[in-house]
Amino acid sequence: MPKVKPKRSNPVVDMTAMCDVSFLLLTFFILTAKFKPQAVVAVDVPTARATVTPENVIVITVNQEGKAFISLKEKVTRYAMLEQLDAKYGQNYPGITGLTQNQKEFFSLTDTWGTPIEDTKRVLSMNGTEFKEYQEKQMPGIPYDSLHNQIGDWVQAARYATEGNIKIGIKADKNASVEYVREIIKRLTEKDIHRFLLITTLATGGGAAEEEAKAEE
Amino acid sequence: MADIDTSGGGGGGKHSGGPRSKKMSTRVDLTPMVDLAFLLISFFMLTTTLNKPKAMELNMPKKVIDEKDKQDVGECQVLNVLLDTLDQVWYYEGLKVAGLQKTTFAGDEGIRKVIMKMIKKVPKECPQVRRWKDQNGDGQKQDNEFAMADRDAIVLIKMLKGARYKNMVDILDEMDITDCQIYAIQDADPIEVEAVLNGGVVKEFARE
Repeated sequence: MPKVKPKRSNPVVDMTAMCDVSFLLLTFFILTAKFKPQAVVAVDVPTARATVTPENVIVITVNQEGKAFISLKEKVTRYAMLEQLDAKYGQNYPGITGLTQNQKEFFSLTDTWGTPIEDTKRVLSMNGTEFKEYQEKQMPGIPYDSLHNQIGDWVQAARYATEGNIKIGIKADKNASVEYVREIIKRLTEKDIHRFLLITTLATGGGAAEEEAKAEE
Repeated sequence: MADIDTSGGGGGGKHSGGPRSKKMSTRVDLTPMVDLAFLLISFFMLTTTLNKPKAMELNMPKKVIDEKDKQDVGECQVLNVLLDTLDQVWYYEGLKVAGLQKTTFAGDEGIRKVIMKMIKKVPKECPQVRRWKDQNGDGQKQDNEFAMADRDAIVLIKMLKGARYKNMVDILDEMDITDCQIYAIQDADPIEVEAVLNGGVVKEFARE
């Protein structure tokens, strides 16, 4: 009689289920991931140990040359902000009154705005390519000197548009002179705004300063 | 599950007549695919969570309109911190500009140590604070910020023209790390600016 050979079991594990799960997760992460929106204004923010996550915030971006820009995340709020600016401060700025529906729509599609108010109409009548070039090369920033406190008016308009339910973030380049930031804070304090969020990034381990010192050594 | 049935079940009327072709295994090894998927998952997980911006809260004071809201603080409570354009930190206590010293932001040995020392020193050595404690007990009641200004160290942050914004964030970060409650951002006095520019040497001490 021949010997009964024990049947050898195949050690191969079926990977299909695993593959299914992993791709499901992958799809989930890809779909939920929000990529950094293409930054029109490049700023290198400083690192800090800060813990607050900025939400519901109007961001005042200050680049290295001290030009200021405003950005808001939601399109609806941007639209409302423009309307409020017109309604509350229209008499000071003839450039903002009587915008067409198209121009307003155009504004609400732009997430970073850096044009003096008197120039608004001209910029909003540009076509796509013209505007893109303008945005990349010659956006002059919003004035914030003591005579032209336009930053203050924009922020006030944003506060009206959200019924005060908005925080004011300042996202300045780490190499920008501190004068610019203090000037902006001063302008906003004049408008009775006293709380700010300074946008930073997380330092990877250790104190921010520590790391900086190590890098410079 | 992943095998494809190749036995030709739907082959119609063909019966096993001719020479049967050898069955090939259609099982695909999915391990590398799973590897890749997990690699991508980890990539997306890491990039989504680490990219979030953080923010630091900064509360600026209202303009003091009422004279009675102003209050006196003891000279010994005050630590002046000056930030210059070369990322250096200068400090002196009280009104003694002549005692200006230089330090850095580097970790525990830099300005952090100075602030920590000041916070520890003030309640023990400062006569104003001691007097306050005699009147109000051991300072347990923390009713408002004014009460705190009576007994804790006060850091005055002064930035020279052209100092980098990064340094402002760094010093505010140090305030957070050392748990220093009372600080103010101010302009530097001309005499302080001069002292810093002279490398810490005060030429003439004229300050009222």
